Amino acid sequence: MYYLITLVVYGAVDVIACLGLSLQFGISGVTNFGYIIFQAAGAYVAAILALPAESANGGFQHYVGGFDLPFPVPWVGAAVAGAVLALPFTFLVGRRLRGDFAAVGLLVTAVLLNLLVMNFVPLFNGDAGLAIVPAPMQSGVMTDTSNSYQWEFAVGVVALAAAVFWFIRHITESPYGRALRAMRDNDKVADSLGQNLLSLRTGTLVVGGAIAGLSGGVLVTFISVWSPAAWTYAETIVLFAAVIIGGRGNHVGAVLGAVLVPVGFEESTRLITNANPSLPPNLLPSLQWVAIGLLIAAFLWLRPAGILSERRRLIALPAQSLQAPVHAQQAPPEPDRAAVPDQAAVPDQAAAADRPAATDRTAVADRLAAPDEAAPVVQAGPRDEQTAAPTADAAGQHADVVLQAIGVSREFGGVHAVSGASLSITRGTLTGLIGPNGAGKSTLLALLAGTDRVSAGTIRYQGQDVTNVPAFRRARLGLVRTFQLASEFKRLTVLENLLSAAPGNRGAGFLGAAAGRRYWRADEAAAIAKAADILRKFGLESLANSYAGDLSGGQRRLVEIMRALMTEPRMLLLDEPMAGVHPELARRIGDQLVGLCRDGMTILMVEHELAIMDEFCDPVIVMAEGSMLAQGTMAQLRDRTEVVEAYLVG
Amino acid sequence: MSILMASVGFGLITSAVLTIAAVGFTLQFAVTDVLNLAFAAVMTAGAFVAYWVNQLGASIWLGLVVAMIACSVLSVALNLGVYAPFQRRGSSPITIVIVSLGMALIIEFGIEAIVGGINVSYKMSQGGTLRSGGLILTTVQLTIIAISLVVMAGAHSLLRYTKLGKTMRATAANRSLARNCGIRTGRVITFTWALTGALCGLAGTVFAIDVGSFGPTSTDLFVVLILAAVFLGGPGHAYGAMLGAVLIGLATEVSAAYIAPDYKYVIAFVALLATLAVRPSGLLGART
Repeated sequence: MYYLITLVVYGAVDVIACLGLSLQFGISGVTNFGYIIFQAAGAYVAAILALPAESANGGFQHYVGGFDLPFPVPWVGAAVAGAVLALPFTFLVGRRLRGDFAAVGLLVTAVLLNLLVMNFVPLFNGDAGLAIVPAPMQSGVMTDTSNSYQWEFAVGVVALAAAVFWFIRHITESPYGRALRAMRDNDKVADSLGQNLLSLRTGTLVVGGAIAGLSGGVLVTFISVWSPAAWTYAETIVLFAAVIIGGRGNHVGAVLGAVLVPVGFEESTRLITNANPSLPPNLLPSLQWVAIGLLIAAFLWLRPAGILSERRRLIALPAQSLQAPVHAQQAPPEPDRAAVPDQAAVPDQAAAADRPAATDRTAVADRLAAPDEAAPVVQAGPRDEQTAAPTADAAGQHADVVLQAIGVSREFGGVHAVSGASLSITRGTLTGLIGPNGAGKSTLLALLAGTDRVSAGTIRYQGQDVTNVPAFRRARLGLVRTFQLASEFKRLTVLENLLSAAPGNRGAGFLGAAAGRRYWRADEAAAIAKAADILRKFGLESLANSYAGDLSGGQRRLVEIMRALMTEPRMLLLDEPMAGVHPELARRIGDQLVGLCRDGMTILMVEHELAIMDEFCDPVIVMAEGSMLAQGTMAQLRDRTEVVEAYLVG
Repeated sequence: MSILMASVGFGLITSAVLTIAAVGFTLQFAVTDVLNLAFAAVMTAGAFVAYWVNQLGASIWLGLVVAMIACSVLSVALNLGVYAPFQRRGSSPITIVIVSLGMALIIEFGIEAIVGGINVSYKMSQGGTLRSGGLILTTVQLTIIAISLVVMAGAHSLLRYTKLGKTMRATAANRSLARNCGIRTGRVITFTWALTGALCGLAGTVFAIDVGSFGPTSTDLFVVLILAAVFLGGPGHAYGAMLGAVLIGLATEVSAAYIAPDYKYVIAFVALLATLAVRPSGLLGART
């Protein structure tokens, strides 16, 4: 009977620990190889909070304090200890350090802290550890005589595990959880869209640390001993194995993994040892570790998502009809608009319907749903107006400068990628940036957006010096970039990709997420409505609930542009938005961009296709060898020999 | 004074062992892009191969050569069988780090399953001792230092003067560009695994000679020193690894003489974390 109770308690403790790891590793992509430290710290703090002063037991073991505090203080203290311990580690997982380097740092920390604790008697009693830790609501250690108490304890711990499961689910199935998953899929891009990586990762470490600490605290009050030998770095790998095998990013998977791996392994070896007492004592534990190594490698190869793969978060788009009246009201103010884009729009719509036909039946189906030719045209116009509404007054201030670079340089180990580049971008323009390969266009864009730091020079945005403002803050100010290489959040749906960029969602922070769905539901609904609107504008609504990683190259470019638009940018920096996109679709994107600029947005776009520059961009800036060569309309640039020599011919 | 000199002597030997391991580790990481946490486990495998050869009655120095060959083969096999397939599939660096930890468990505890949890020693003579200005070194220790110097000189010549070394540097700098320039990167990478594997076997055996008595888990802490040396110098930089190894080796042994031997790894640990926090590209790495 005692055996069964032990099994249940160990299982529940492992479940709690794996849930914390599921948050850190599965949801946030933080590979905390030092996870065991947080468990051990929680266990130690729970022990010293529960133990009486050293002298009470004759002083045979040394520890800090000995506070003799009643339940549940030791458990709470354990969680707090795990959370507090996380704070000094945030520097390792901050914005700058590669994830695998940080993991190495944490692994080494786990190895070294274990060594220190083993050797430092005054604080931790050395490798002897602590013993006779009192059980909750008992005067002494748990003995196997009081069977009913043990059952109550086991039930209590299982209930606690369920509560932790609910809590983790509660905070991760929210805009906050979505931000964490976006960071996991591509941290640099999440940064450029306004996510504060440092605060997201700190939150992850602190919450995961608290849960790890809690699991350690529960365990220590059950087994009544705290032994450093039980908290080696290798134990972390067991927990990682559990989460990988159960399913990364799936909390039920983490629970399953906890039951299968740590519990399953302990028990299977116990059974085998009992059956064959003649085996060498070291053989089975060794083979157990070998098996865990094999399991990790095999699962990562054969089934990287784990037994229960991450659930796809399906979100229903609001019905389109809800927005129709809004369009009708806003349609009249700009009667002249319809005439020009309409001509372009009609063939574009037809071409766009052709394009996805090969790959995407549903998109065609949506087009077929619009009964007559006129309908898409009518929709195309008014939807632009809707974006126009908040910024319509900007039309009168076209002359002012939104973004300015003054003598900006960037060096990479002696190579001057950008040297002394200066430019001014006027509000409401769609400015093109062209230049030969290696001219420094993408680097300049990165410097303007803050995803790379300048070596010298100043960047001003809306009159403010933003040279030292990090990328996520610039994004929140409305200065947003896209990337040349595919940068979608692969394991988020298209709609989630868009929603992850929506600013001002009350559920996007930890506290907001903890406050519950009711607190952020309205913001979420507004963001979904806006995303649906953008999706329809780009004709991708039928793919809203597909994983962004499953889309074609051109569709991914669209996702990226749409996602940037979700941030409500004032100044958009696009790095080859039409590369790899079907020419017809490219022209449709161009039309949309022109419309956005007419409505007050400012866009700087790097593009190689001169036909696109001809059609949409004015002015066009030519860059060569890291600095500005010329600026003007494409017609003017074609007349200038140095430009022709530098770029247009070669 | 004599404590200082004695600790410097220990430091020199630790530095010598560490240099071999750190140069192997950092070249492996630079060229193959695998942060191979199984490196120390392969070292242990080498030490045991040398032990078995030694047990058969052969000199430990013959055992050392056999260990180098064995670890070279094992490393190439690890890459071809495990890491390369994962890389071809486009697995993230962190996935490969986790896989390498799995490999470390398999190798380390595979050895333990075979030999049991006991510690063993080589049968060998320490040779005469040499005293100079307070430094006391045995012939074997001098040999280890000499081997280390040969490794450093060899790594320098390889990277600096040979075509093979240049192709390794090119592959490390940009693999796809190197391939497009006509470098057979697949071969370069396989060669790198063979070379760094041999260094790993060498390091494992001289480590075992140096510590005297070793077991399947003896390198668990030494890996901390390797990582500290590699990251302090700048991950992927051969010269950085040499500098880091000398600094870390001396610092740990000298500090052990003055603080407490139990805490000698702490200084390496602090150096590693400080480097990661302040200057992740290391002392010799490019400033970013």
